[in-house]
Amino acid sequence: MKRKVNPGEKSMEALQPVEYSARATYTIEAISNLAQVPRRLIVLYYKHGLVVPTAESLGSGWYFDDQAIHVVKRIEYLRTECGVNLEGIKLIMGLMKEVERLREELRFFQRQ
Amino acid sequence: MPVEFKDYYKILNVPRDASSEDIKKAFRKLARQYHPDVAKDKKAAEEKFKEINEAYEVLGDPANRKKYDELGSQWRDGAAFQPPPGWQRGRAQGGPGGDESFEFSFDGTGFSDFFEQFFGGGGRFGGFSRFGTQQEYAGGEAGFSRRGSDLESDLLVTLEEATRGSVRALTLQRVNRKTGQARTQTIKVKIPAGVTDGQIIRVPGMGNEGIGGAPPGDLYLRIRFAAHPDFRVRGADLYYGLDLAPWDAVLGTKVVVPTLQDRVSVKIPPGTNSGQQLRVRGRGLANGQSGEKGDLFVVVNIVIPEQITEEERELWKNLKRISHFNPGSS
Repeated sequence: MKRKVNPGEKSMEALQPVEYSARATYTIEAISNLAQVPRRLIVLYYKHGLVVPTAESLGSGWYFDDQAIHVVKRIEYLRTECGVNLEGIKLIMGLMKEVERLREELRFFQRQ
Repeated sequence: MPVEFKDYYKILNVPRDASSEDIKKAFRKLARQYHPDVAKDKKAAEEKFKEINEAYEVLGDPANRKKYDELGSQWRDGAAFQPPPGWQRGRAQGGPGGDESFEFSFDGTGFSDFFEQFFGGGGRFGGFSRFGTQQEYAGGEAGFSRRGSDLESDLLVTLEEATRGSVRALTLQRVNRKTGQARTQTIKVKIPAGVTDGQIIRVPGMGNEGIGGAPPGDLYLRIRFAAHPDFRVRGADLYYGLDLAPWDAVLGTKVVVPTLQDRVSVKIPPGTNSGQQLRVRGRGLANGQSGEKGDLFVVVNIVIPEQITEEERELWKNLKRISHFNPGSS
């Protein structure tokens, strides 16, 4: 089940609990709106392997998950606030991924 | 908001100079006792289980333990906790403009405010705390508006929850620093079966408030698997450490090992060495949305008896005399 998110979704003033699902998927337009990043940049990030659509969506148009929005926002921060270029972004994102992986490995062995 | 200092040594019931092995043992013992799946009073056990897990996250990691010991060096039981100068908040928060005027606290993530502040994942790449703050110009003469920045928090999930899926209620309290006024919001987050460690769940609109009528930022929850008393996790695979007597390793045997759902019988072939891994297919965690299951690895650890009888000693001596096995001579 895919939930296409309306880009103009309302902010919540939740008195009643509202349910959120980790299975939400978004079109490229929705991501573009949510992260305030032009569509062409998301395509560029995809071409450089920085964001990947969910495996299930391949073949039926692109759909992205919450992780992808998070990544796009991080890239955007590096680009606009830190002034890093694409090569630098690739390097930083790659290193961050590697650090996370090594942390996981470390945790695994520490618990042995 | 001042946070309450957590005495993790007390929670795990170990002395402050306990070895890492003692800490691990203490965690396993308590985690088995209070595991929500086995305890009678589930609600009380769940709280206790989370507390034990948090303590182990900190004390079970030498770097975190060192940090914690420094942090708590001035603290005495019963006293109010003031972090030493220079200790930054872990959770991503704040940003330019109006963001700084609010403080946040979460309830229901499985981690205490104390943990979130000093050991939480939000601050692991703290430099990103201002993301989501791009300027937007609202047009006309109204000046600019700015979308609120995002918040990040860890969400503790047990392996059983990850397997079955669950719904978690989270409470977010915002306190206005100037007025002291508090606002509480409750949300329910669905944890789908097959969720993976480190997976991000986005909760729209639960981040910092925007300026000039701009929308608020989002809340990003990062799934963190709770340590399990029996299994270690690597991707979708589970690892179970099996202690084995030397003769069982040499002669082979059959053992029953636990899985997340039930128990399975595993055949230990003759001549199994310490460190060897035996795979039980499909008894790991669900691998993301595909539902494909990881494997369970039984890691053999040969344990020798510390105390032996005179008769046993004679038998070992006999074995030494007649055996040609000499691993150090190659």
